Amino acid sequence: MTTQIPTRAGAGMAGFEATTSRWGRITMLAGLVLSLIGPCYLVFFGGLDITAGHVWLAFLAVAATFGIFWIMEPLTYFPILGSAAMYQAFMIGNISNKLLPAAIVAQSTVNARPGTKRGDLAAVMAICGAATVHLVSLLLFVGVLGTWLISIIPMELIDVARLYILPAVMGAVLVQIIATMKQLRPTLFAIAIALLVQFVLVPLVPQLAMGATAIGVAATIALAWFGRDRTVTHHAHLADDGEGEGTAPKEEI
Amino acid sequence: MQSLSVQVLAEAGSTDILAVANSPLVWVCALGVFAVIFVQTLIYVKAARKAGPDAGMSSQELTRSYRAGAIASVGPSLAVVLVAIALLALFGTPAVLVRIGLIGSAATETASAGIAATTMGATLGGPDYTQQIFAIAFMAMSLSGGMWMLATLILTPILKRGGHRLSAMNPAAMAIIPCAALLGAFSMLAVAEAPKSSVHLVTLGVSAVVMAGCLFLAKKLGAGWLKEWALGFAIITALAVAFVAHTA
Repeated sequence: MTTQIPTRAGAGMAGFEATTSRWGRITMLAGLVLSLIGPCYLVFFGGLDITAGHVWLAFLAVAATFGIFWIMEPLTYFPILGSAAMYQAFMIGNISNKLLPAAIVAQSTVNARPGTKRGDLAAVMAICGAATVHLVSLLLFVGVLGTWLISIIPMELIDVARLYILPAVMGAVLVQIIATMKQLRPTLFAIAIALLVQFVLVPLVPQLAMGATAIGVAATIALAWFGRDRTVTHHAHLADDGEGEGTAPKEEI
Repeated sequence: MQSLSVQVLAEAGSTDILAVANSPLVWVCALGVFAVIFVQTLIYVKAARKAGPDAGMSSQELTRSYRAGAIASVGPSLAVVLVAIALLALFGTPAVLVRIGLIGSAATETASAGIAATTMGATLGGPDYTQQIFAIAFMAMSLSGGMWMLATLILTPILKRGGHRLSAMNPAAMAIIPCAALLGAFSMLAVAEAPKSSVHLVTLGVSAVVMAGCLFLAKKLGAGWLKEWALGFAIITALAVAFVAHTA
């Protein structure tokens, strides 16, 4: 994709940079706070008998699985997005399957090269366009239509959907990740470890069930690292070589 | 009125998820996130228009860029809508709008929710999926998503000052670790579904096969749009099969 040139912000763009980093940060902080108020209210004032210990345990289990991506993803996308779009992208989501293609289409529409001032502005405008469409279609089709749909669908259908949604999501996502990564060795390690943990380790030590995913992640990382193919050289700035081979942003899944 | 009814309905053991998931404050916050992104978009458009002349970009070209971005995102947005609707029964509308539609993704958020439920000894969507479990799952998803934003807020200024050589320090680690972590997490999550019941196993298999089929066809026919829709198609097909198998 594009290479971020640290000096790309010339004098003319200084105002744009200043406005977007200031307001980008303020709006993202506001989004962060708003996204936490809802669940906090249910947890602390919902009368649901939830202790701080419950929340910590759940959070730590999730952190053990996804914590790596909190840091890795901003690092991966920064060279492609530039600082202004970072504050947009991590709030809107769907970076690699929607925002990046939208930016590239816009750049080619106005013949702006990525990494130039024109390219930057075209990308930001394209992401704004994509955000508008995304927000409107979510509000309309999920917020209004979806809520109505769920109110008329028979309860038993909803119960079945709820009961089997996890396997319905996970089967497809696993295949998608394997297809995106195209890395045979780590894939085999990951599946072998998962089978081992699920069918040998957890039955032997049932207390480990709640940490099973974290164990799977740690073991796969360790095996993939020590069992890596040392004949392959990995290049710096993965984002630069097209699809960012080998990096694994959550938005790809 | 409704906030009162929430207080009354809220019982740790109740499985009426939508009663708490749709509580007014949760709705207000969800719509607030939408409003914040709208405001951000407005500010960015204005700033870009102001900087346009300096960058050698006419107002017309800026409008064309905006329009191109909007049109390019229609397909992907509708694909997200389909997945989001499939998850409404699990999390209710406001949580789906914010967690699946915006900040997170279907895969990471359902995974986080599933992991959080497991720490309570419950199954996401199962008979023991109570209001209490939902609230903890919602909290865990939101905290994890919050950490993503926090990392972006902290790292972006640092990276801007040239710190992006950080990622070049160990290219092999940057390539291998995220890939292995993602494969490890979702292999584990998928395999854990298999032994729950024969219907779970069938659902898992159908979902995987539909995804594989879509990806194969997308490559064969050069149909990029099919890749975007694959997850939605896989979930809906798998749920349909699950319904038939469950009631059979």
